[in-house]
Amino acid sequence: MKAPDEELVALVVATKNAAAFGELVRRHQGLVRAMLQRMCRNHALADDLAQDAFIRAYEKIGTFTGKGAFKSWLCSIAYTEFLMAARKRRSTERAMEKFKTGLDDSEAPRDMGNVVDLDRALATLKEEERIAVVMCYSCGLSHSEAAEATGMPLGTVKSHVNRGRAKLQAYFQEAEEMAS
Amino acid sequence: MTMDDAFDARLKAAFADAAAPLERESESEAFSRSVVERLSRPDRKRVLILGGAGSTGSAIAGTQLESVFGNMHVPTEGLLANAGFLMSPEVLAAAAMAVAVGLVAAVLPRRIAG
Repeated sequence: MKAPDEELVALVVATKNAAAFGELVRRHQGLVRAMLQRMCRNHALADDLAQDAFIRAYEKIGTFTGKGAFKSWLCSIAYTEFLMAARKRRSTERAMEKFKTGLDDSEAPRDMGNVVDLDRALATLKEEERIAVVMCYSCGLSHSEAAEATGMPLGTVKSHVNRGRAKLQAYFQEAEEMAS
Repeated sequence: MTMDDAFDARLKAAFADAAAPLERESESEAFSRSVVERLSRPDRKRVLILGGAGSTGSAIAGTQLESVFGNMHVPTEGLLANAGFLMSPEVLAAAAMAVAVGLVAAVLPRRIAG
């Protein structure tokens, strides 16, 4: 039987057990990396940020109070890393723009299951909308958990999610009409 | 199920599909290993900056030690007088400084790594 996250966290806090932390990384790396990939649309950069986020989480693990889910706490750290990197490295912004323009916009999206199409659809959203949508749909956080992770007010998160979702729906509807 | 619910389900499925390759055993294992390896390797830049700052502080404090030990009265007769050259203010200050610098160099990187 797998030990719950809270038990592993307690073990890491008490003994700095790297193996226990490795298990936490194994469990949550997909969530954190997918979230960062959708946010920055650059897989290599997202993986670097995910590594930094896990290292930061290890250093700050004593501050996890267990009030919310461990994955929400982890997402808030990853989001902070994303913000810090975006502010600190202007070159990152340029790389992201290059990646964005590297996508072939002439090709009509086929299906939202396609990763490139999903990323292209997300690129049409405003930054805050994209972050709120990714947190709620990719990470599976509730609106209040996403509000806590991003530091945005709950009402703002809800409206960003609703607006972003409506834009995505319109985008895919239009794409399907064009394809048929 | 409303149209909105159906779209929600499709959107969640699309995000899950996009994340699926990251959940593969080999992928998660490799990523987890690289994070754990980084944990056992302290950030060299941080160690150098903190170690350098600590050593500089110790060196500055060390230069002040001479005035502290300068007021000492060294015996001029007997056994201690023979070892008097070891108790000159400069030697004592240098020894104290060496101990301080050595402690900083030995303890700080371990504290950062731990």
